[in-house]
Amino acid sequence: MRALLSAELTKIRTLPATWIALTLTVVTNTVLGALAAIDTVRITTANGEVAVDQVGTLMLAPAYIFVAIAVHAAGTEYHGGQLRVSLAAAPDRTRWFGAKLTVAAAVALLAAIPAVLPGLLVQHGAAGDLASGRTATDLLALLAAYPLLSLLGFGFAFLTRGPVTPLTVLLILPVLVSTTLIGLFPQVVRLLPHEATLSLLGRAADPATALGRGAGLLVLTGWAVLLVGIAWALIVHRDT
Amino acid sequence: MIEVAHLTKRYGAKAAVDDISFTVPPGRVTGFLGPNGAGKSTTLRILLGLDRPDAGTALIDGRPYRELRFPLRRVGALLDGAGPVPERRAIDHLTWIAQSNRIPRRRVHEVLDAVGLGAVARQRVKKYSLGMGQRLGLAAALLGDPEILVLDEPVNGLDPDGIRWVRTFLRDHAARGRTVLLSSHLMTEMADTADEVIVIARGRIAAHGPLDEITAGHPSLESAFFALTGDQGPGW
Repeated sequence: MRALLSAELTKIRTLPATWIALTLTVVTNTVLGALAAIDTVRITTANGEVAVDQVGTLMLAPAYIFVAIAVHAAGTEYHGGQLRVSLAAAPDRTRWFGAKLTVAAAVALLAAIPAVLPGLLVQHGAAGDLASGRTATDLLALLAAYPLLSLLGFGFAFLTRGPVTPLTVLLILPVLVSTTLIGLFPQVVRLLPHEATLSLLGRAADPATALGRGAGLLVLTGWAVLLVGIAWALIVHRDT
Repeated sequence: MIEVAHLTKRYGAKAAVDDISFTVPPGRVTGFLGPNGAGKSTTLRILLGLDRPDAGTALIDGRPYRELRFPLRRVGALLDGAGPVPERRAIDHLTWIAQSNRIPRRRVHEVLDAVGLGAVARQRVKKYSLGMGQRLGLAAALLGDPEILVLDEPVNGLDPDGIRWVRTFLRDHAARGRTVLLSSHLMTEMADTADEVIVIARGRIAAHGPLDEITAGHPSLESAFFALTGDQGPGW
């Protein structure tokens, strides 16, 4: 298994998309953290003008750039025919998928630290509450949310055989689907990945779609497990 | 030794491969010929564990490919539609393949030099020409110094120098008692390289035997091929 883990780590490390996505995430998170800290920019919403910090979807936007790391790691298997090379090198598909999943999860967890920490430090540092329990809770929630969203995208990319559709769908869900359905089916909308993530982060936009942090974590974990499970079944049973 | 026995693969009602059997012995270059859609690529994908057969077996030294622990040390393959991510550098592509099968890192540089890509190893693959991409595929196949080579159209896109290098390499490989299964549409090249020929048409084996037996009574391998496959030859 160690051989496969090193191979998968080399794959993800040598994809330019990995470094581009990580850099963009750090930059956007830091900029948003700074904007939230200085509170000079206000966003117009249905409830009037609010601080950047109050727009959960905006504060979560960098996570969708970050998700591209895991989505590309999975989706590029279908780019240039790499999947056939991978499975010729590692024909035990469960072992191969397990190694790929382990590396994607570990990279997402480790990369989430530099991705979220600068923005969080800037924001909470300016507010003078760096040592508070709230900062620690927010950090832990972000370190759970980023890898779980990444794994969700990872599984989705195997389902759609590429990186483009998962990223598009993950972006469209909060922007179009949630805003359209929120008035009609708030009980359903709050179970969508984006809303569950906002609940986990304590940033739910609407009380009707809010879950507790724990429930948000459970729902998001459920989505990740479901999509990774489907991806595993497809890899094991599908021809190349 | 490659052994294929009663192999069948269907896509819906159509049989891509229909109850075919053949063996590829060591010490010989065995050519695998057939028109487009005859079942060559399907057979090779099943042999390498990439697709599942509906019936029959395809074995490498008596075992299914999927049971091989570090398969690239036993079998080197170049397949149609199997290649690197274009954004990755060639050296990185070969490095992860080597790591996956515990092949020493020095082999990456050895095979890159062997196929003439040593000087451009750090370029991204998307900057490669067709021929350079083909050389990289050959480098990947040779990485584990395998006993068995399974190559689908290995000289596609190569310049004359590259074609001669592949021909000489495969002849030497077989002369060392190793196994070569070579699929190609280039009849002249196949006639210059192969000792034995398997001809497949419409998913069934049309002929299998030594090259001189297959071409007996025909002016060339090309005319024997058209006679065996029922193809009328040029005219489309």
